[in-house]
Amino acid sequence: MKINFRHRHSAHCESGVSSNLLFHYGVDISEAMAFGIGGGIFFGYLPFLKVNKLPITTFRCEVGGIFKRLTKKLEVGVYWEKFRNPKKAMDALDHCLEEGIPVACRTGGYWLPYFPSAFRFHFNMHNLVVYGKEGDEYLISDPVFQEPVKCDKKYLLKARFAKGALAPKGTMYYLTSVPEKIDFAPAIIKGIKEACRRMLKTPVPIIGVKGIRFLANRIEKWPKKLGKRKAILHLVQLIRMQEELGTGGGGFRFMYAAFLQEAAGILKENRLLDLSGKMTSAGDRWREFAVIGSRNCKNRATESDSFEAMADILRDCANREAEVYQELMEVIN
Amino acid sequence: MTLKEKLKKLIVETLHLEDITPEEIEDGEMLFGERLGLDSIDAVEIVFQVEHHFGVGIKNMKEGRPALQSINTLAAFIEARL
Repeated sequence: MKINFRHRHSAHCESGVSSNLLFHYGVDISEAMAFGIGGGIFFGYLPFLKVNKLPITTFRCEVGGIFKRLTKKLEVGVYWEKFRNPKKAMDALDHCLEEGIPVACRTGGYWLPYFPSAFRFHFNMHNLVVYGKEGDEYLISDPVFQEPVKCDKKYLLKARFAKGALAPKGTMYYLTSVPEKIDFAPAIIKGIKEACRRMLKTPVPIIGVKGIRFLANRIEKWPKKLGKRKAILHLVQLIRMQEELGTGGGGFRFMYAAFLQEAAGILKENRLLDLSGKMTSAGDRWREFAVIGSRNCKNRATESDSFEAMADILRDCANREAEVYQELMEVIN
Repeated sequence: MTLKEKLKKLIVETLHLEDITPEEIEDGEMLFGERLGLDSIDAVEIVFQVEHHFGVGIKNMKEGRPALQSINTLAAFIEARL
C-alpha cells in the first residue's frame, strides 16, 4: 500500500514533518513558517540531561513542541499515541496506513539504515513520516533526505523503540482534522510572542539568551575545570548538537530569519524584514562559533581559536539575539 | 587550477589530512566515506571554507548533505551559484 504523499526535503525533521503533514491535507505552509508559528527557536544548555554522558545543548524547543503548538494555533486535530508493546506499535502503524493516513513517528536515528554511517549517532528525537508499506519495507518520507527512502520493518521497529535518553517509546502521531480556511496572521503573532518570552524571560539561567551567556562562561572554564581531553569531548557534543541536530551552523537562526521574512509579507510589517536580517547575522556568528569549535575538536586550532574566543562569540550571539527578540516584542505589541 | 583541484587542495590543507594528497582524491568518491575518514565535524570547516573562498554559502544541512557528497557534487553546487 502506498499513500499519495508529497515528500518535501527540509532542513529539520520536526518542522519538515509538520509542514509536510499539513501540506498533505491541503495547507500550503513552508517549513520556516511551521517552525516560526510552532515557536521552534530556543536555546537551552542542559547539564543535568545527558547523551553519551555529556550535557545536552539544544538550539530548538522541546521535542514535539513545534508540532503541538503549530497544530494548536492552526486548530488542527491531532492524534498521539505511545506504546509499550512494539508489536502493537507496528500494528497500529499498519492499521493507519491501510486507512490511508500518513503517520509521523519519532525514532532513534542511529537505527535507520539509510542514514550514512558518518552522520549516524544515538539521537532519539528524529521525526519522519511513514506513508506506505511494500512487503516488509516501509515507505518513508524522512524530511532531511532529498528523496523518499525505504526501511525494513525490523530497523524501523528498533528505531521506534530505541533505548536511552528521551527514548521515543513507539510514539506516533497524525492529523485527524484540518480547518477549511486557515488565518496565519494571528498564529504568527502568538508564535512570535511565545518565542520571545521564552528567549528573554524564562527565569532560569540556562535557558534563552541567559543560557547562551551561561554557556559562554562555562566554555571559558572548560579547559581548566575539565582538562583538555574532557573539554574537547564536551565541545564535540556541543558542536554535534549544533551541526547535526541544529541543521548546521546557525541553522535554526537562519530558519527563524526566513520565517520573519515570510511573516513580514503576511502581516504587512516591513520592520520584520530588518529583524530577519539581524537574525541571519546572529546565525552567521553561530556558524563562526561552530567552525572554531570544530577546529578544536579536530586538533587543528590555531592560537586565535581559543576557548576564550569561542566564549566571546557566544556572548555576541546572545547580544544579537536579545536585540532581535526585544525589537520583535515591540513590533508585535 | 580547476575548481575541483582547488577544492581537493582546500580540503587536504584545511582539514590537515596527512595520509592523502589532493591528487589522490577521486572526483566521485564519497567525502564522508571510510577512505578519507571525514565526519560531520569536518563538514563544518568545509562549509566555512567554501563560503570564505568562493562566496557560496551553504545555509543548512538540507543544502549541505547533497552538496557535500563528493568533489563532483560540491563543485557542481558552487558552479551553479557563482
